[in-house]
Amino acid sequence: MTAARDAITAEVLRAAFALAAEEAGIVVVRAAHSTFIQEGADACAAVLDTTGQLVAQSAATTLMHGASLRATLPALLADIPLELMEPGDVYVTNDPYRGGIHANDLLVFRPVFANDEPRWFAGTLVHVADVGGVAAAGLAALATDVFAEGLLLPPVSLVRRGEPVEEVWRILGRNSRSPERVLGDVRALVAGVNVMAARIEELVDRYGATAVRAEIDADIDYVATRMRDELRRLARGRYEGTFAIESDGVDPERTFEVRVAVEVGDGDVTVDFDGTSAQARGSINSSPSQTLSAVVYAVRCFVDPTIPMNEGCFRHVAVRVPRGCLVNPDPPAACGGRIVTMCAAIEAIIAALSEARPDRAVAASALIHVYALAGSGEGAPPWLTLGYEFGGVGARNGADGPDATGPYVLGGRSVITQVEPFEAALPVLVREYRLRADSGGAGTFRGGLGVETAIEVLSDATLTSRGDRIAMPPPGSRGGAQGEPGRSSVRRPDGREEVLDARAAGVVLRAGDRFVLRTSGGGGFGPPRQRDPASVLADVVEGRCTRAHAEEVYGVVLDEAGTAIDDDATRMLRETPS
Amino acid sequence: MSKCFLGVDVGGTFTDVVLATTEGDVHTHKVVTTAGDPLAAVTRGVQELLAATGRHADEVTRLVHGTTLATNIVLERRGCRVALVTTEGFGDLLRLGREARVEDDRYDLFFSVPDPPVERRLTFEAPERVKFDGSVLRALTPDAARTVAARVAAESPDAVAVCLLHSYAQPAHEHLLGAALRDALPSSFVTVSSDVWPELREYDRAMTTTLCAYVGPVMAAYLHRFQAAVRALGVPCAVEVMDSSGGVMPASRAAVVPVATIESGGAAGVLAAALTGRWLHEDRVVSFDMGGTTAKTGVVRAGRPDVTYDFQVGGRGSFGSRRVGSGLPVKLPVVDLAEVGAGGGSIAWVDRGGAVRVGPRSAGSSPGPACYGWGGTDATVTDADLVLGYLAADRLGRPSTAPSAPDPDGIAPRFAPSPGGVDLQIDLAAKALEQSVAEPLGIDVATAAGLVHEVVNVNMAAAIRVVTVQRGIDPREFTFVGFGGAGPVHVARLAQMFGVRRVAVPWAAGVGSALGLLATDMIVERARTCVMDLTAVAARMIEDLFTTLERDACIALGVGEGGERLVERSADLRWAGQSHQLTVPLPRSTFDAAQLAALPGELARAYRAAYGVDGTGDAQFVTARVRVTRSVSKITVPPRGRPAAPSWPEPATVRDVWFADDGGFRPVPVHHWRALRPGDQLTGPALVEGPDTTIVVPPGFTASVDQWRTVVLETG
Repeated sequence: MTAARDAITAEVLRAAFALAAEEAGIVVVRAAHSTFIQEGADACAAVLDTTGQLVAQSAATTLMHGASLRATLPALLADIPLELMEPGDVYVTNDPYRGGIHANDLLVFRPVFANDEPRWFAGTLVHVADVGGVAAAGLAALATDVFAEGLLLPPVSLVRRGEPVEEVWRILGRNSRSPERVLGDVRALVAGVNVMAARIEELVDRYGATAVRAEIDADIDYVATRMRDELRRLARGRYEGTFAIESDGVDPERTFEVRVAVEVGDGDVTVDFDGTSAQARGSINSSPSQTLSAVVYAVRCFVDPTIPMNEGCFRHVAVRVPRGCLVNPDPPAACGGRIVTMCAAIEAIIAALSEARPDRAVAASALIHVYALAGSGEGAPPWLTLGYEFGGVGARNGADGPDATGPYVLGGRSVITQVEPFEAALPVLVREYRLRADSGGAGTFRGGLGVETAIEVLSDATLTSRGDRIAMPPPGSRGGAQGEPGRSSVRRPDGREEVLDARAAGVVLRAGDRFVLRTSGGGGFGPPRQRDPASVLADVVEGRCTRAHAEEVYGVVLDEAGTAIDDDATRMLRETPS
Repeated sequence: MSKCFLGVDVGGTFTDVVLATTEGDVHTHKVVTTAGDPLAAVTRGVQELLAATGRHADEVTRLVHGTTLATNIVLERRGCRVALVTTEGFGDLLRLGREARVEDDRYDLFFSVPDPPVERRLTFEAPERVKFDGSVLRALTPDAARTVAARVAAESPDAVAVCLLHSYAQPAHEHLLGAALRDALPSSFVTVSSDVWPELREYDRAMTTTLCAYVGPVMAAYLHRFQAAVRALGVPCAVEVMDSSGGVMPASRAAVVPVATIESGGAAGVLAAALTGRWLHEDRVVSFDMGGTTAKTGVVRAGRPDVTYDFQVGGRGSFGSRRVGSGLPVKLPVVDLAEVGAGGGSIAWVDRGGAVRVGPRSAGSSPGPACYGWGGTDATVTDADLVLGYLAADRLGRPSTAPSAPDPDGIAPRFAPSPGGVDLQIDLAAKALEQSVAEPLGIDVATAAGLVHEVVNVNMAAAIRVVTVQRGIDPREFTFVGFGGAGPVHVARLAQMFGVRRVAVPWAAGVGSALGLLATDMIVERARTCVMDLTAVAARMIEDLFTTLERDACIALGVGEGGERLVERSADLRWAGQSHQLTVPLPRSTFDAAQLAALPGELARAYRAAYGVDGTGDAQFVTARVRVTRSVSKITVPPRGRPAAPSWPEPATVRDVWFADDGGFRPVPVHHWRALRPGDQLTGPALVEGPDTTIVVPPGFTASVDQWRTVVLETG
């Protein structure tokens, strides 16, 4: 075979594996029964080899989940050795202490055979509708151990040689508040691994198993090379970053901190979490697979987000996680809210890396605010929905932060449901949906705005609500102000407003009550009084900033009509020490 | 008097004109688009083609226009000053979009969100509220409507869009506002969402309506001038416009719903592929149109282009133009195309990890590929194709200043291509490839060229996969139709990658899209959402829904009571609790209890076909759709000559050509398309050189020429 042929085959296979994973990801998302997956693409599809290396992964779903499938495969192989696997088998697990995420994220694997040997695995995962636990839809905000978060599955067979293992499906259904939906989700996961396995088999038929293996190795080397190259563009040294977490929702007196020391070497990086708070009683603990996801995610996004995601991304990145802390908890700590800790880790790493490359510095962002509404009316048909809203993104060195948009790992395919289909499906009425003026953290570059949504329930319901970075909103960077904190409340028909804790569960709503959700703004970057007055004017005209805020915080005075800058007044005000 | 039709396709670089006579002659002409005033090129192109073919303008009975104007206005944000009126509490709906951060933006710490086409201060809220079932929660009073209209009028916008929550179920408030706005702003373009596209999902509907208003005044003025310009040439007929879904509509309707032309040019290309398929008695084709900067691909099933209702203007990424959140949504039916930045001018480079990449940057027509000798030094796909021997090192067909004369050849060919050309300089191509690819990788120039050729093929394969495999379609059952300047060079290799056995390249491949303009009927589609549980609805209600939509569509088409038309009905259904719905076709007969009873079964079947798993639950009716077709005279090209016995023509020349499977060069016969006759057979490897392009017949393929001069490639 000639060199040309090799290079060309490599190119074809590289694309083919990525597309196989992509196709499976689309199958999972499209067939899934829960809105959360369909709109949020909180799912993943990946090809792995039998040693657990990540070969390729779907890009349209959340990238962070690749590490989850990668970390879980060894647990599957420990319980069910390769020798026992047969073509057409499909397995499922969800144990956070064996590579998994939390009970609601089911991970499904199918071995792919070549010449009668299992050589690869097709893996899919998705946040399923409901697998039991103390609260619906996996939002057990107040759980204090992993058992309260839902049914835990060690690696078990879902399908044996093409035949469903009915007992396991029945267990899944019986443990769910919405059995039809959860089984629909599992069917979608199986359809996904089946598609991926078929595609890989086609490639093996065409190019031969040996050639395919060789090309996979070459592709992983390629990604590793690109990663190392980019890491060499960071100034060598040791950089520190910390990020605070306001609450685990259980211990009101306790706050937490994720602390990292990032050691940049010659084309490699080590992230040490020494000094991070001890594990929480609440659910914000992040299992090691999730911590690794956060690290690889942060480093890759910071250095070059166009590097493809495969095992090569992991090669030059090392992680140290002390035992018993937030980022490596001892069982049976609850893990359902691990996203809070992962995002704190990402902010801390990006803050540290910003020192190594200040031109790419970024202020902190608000986090997703998730809520669940479950119908509780006597005799009324049961209903359940899981929804979310985003807050403002942190300002960047050189650019304002975008409004109400998913930051970081939550940007799966972050797209929220529209109001009309929401109202057409459930007894709810959205009364208001708007940006919160003045909520973006002030700065030379402004943080993105948070959002305010008022949802009226038309029948009695129970509310679970989980927001973060509220008591301790996203801080600014280099003189920029923090974002305006979010606040959620219940507004009764008589106008009474009851403010909710950032994490609230079991809130009783009567028909006519409104759940008002306000997300935080993103942090600002640089001193506000150095913001270009023309940008402040544009913000006032577009309603992102009030005139009062423009004067008070930015020192910018507008004319009477509010359409032009009063230059003299602005100069005077800005010269006055504030 | 003899009659003829004109198709005028205005693209970014070239304006293509096709003249088809009722006797079946087809003449083509290509002129450079005049960016400042596109009508200058149109006028010239039409005038020159009429003169060259000895036709008189008054013989033109149909003139169909394909335009990218609407797309360009939106992508370049140069529409008019537009205001939006929406329900109180939702004034930020366009700015919030769907809080979307998708595709590459998700990982880009410095991503930015494009501004919506409406300024926030031109968004107004109306005191009203309707529920999803159409019941009124808060009535809009005539006084309130007038007050809102007065506030809007104080800003004197050029156009106003109205989109209120759930107006698909109850349009009265929108109509009240529309009337008040027209009173207050008699010279502005006013449009309301329940007239444009009354379907569920407020952000999509609001954006669709807003884009209509944003593009509307510009489009209306343009079409008016277009009509005047061709009338000045003596063309007597009313101009028709290609819409995005594969039908044609009167220009008058395009001026009212301008956003319906958003993929006008792309749709014409797929129709041209469908036409080529029809000549082959093949109703399943994949169209592959590769030009200078992009490649577009779409699917034709049952002779008709696949259509999506999730189109995003400027949409991108791994799910083609359907990726929600990646562009601005248009809810109207749009031919389902995937587009990649891969064309003859796409530039090859080596990334930091040592992989060859091609595009999305393009050398365009200035400076052009290195081999043009116009000063370009970047290696492009055309340069690679030249080094590999696919293109001839002397000339490449390119647009002429004079149109083609009728074909002097007495027999088969009635398509008359344009002469002219540019010299392709192989030494410049080799030098560019050496510098940009071969040297950095330490490989020879031929290998580098082979790599560029294959990498661009892989990129384009991804686009084909988007519209086939990712939609659950097996491309192996399809014929690939290649056109555009670079399409015929690459199409057979792409077919191989998918295991496709049949490829067709039509004569006139260079102006394929313009041909498509004349290959379709006048079509109007309408839809309305009405969410109902199937267990709680009477068949009569659904029948009324359909008959109303049909009446609206007939009015838009100008079909009177009892006028001839083809009506097709379909319904979007879903399982309760799911947010995705599926479209199922319905029989043409009156919707009765039997049809109603059959719907859950139809949904189950469609669901299984789409997702490969069974869905469960209660079925709901979501949206009624009708498509009304009014048949018009179309292009007809009769087969020429007699089916001849197979013959094996002598090649014109022989040259060395590279093939991936050989990993090297070998001498390959080169035929001139013009010299080939129906019945001629070729065995790959071979090349067929046409006026604007070259067809590559790889080893393992045979090729034959049919009575339409189409070159049909087949492999075992």
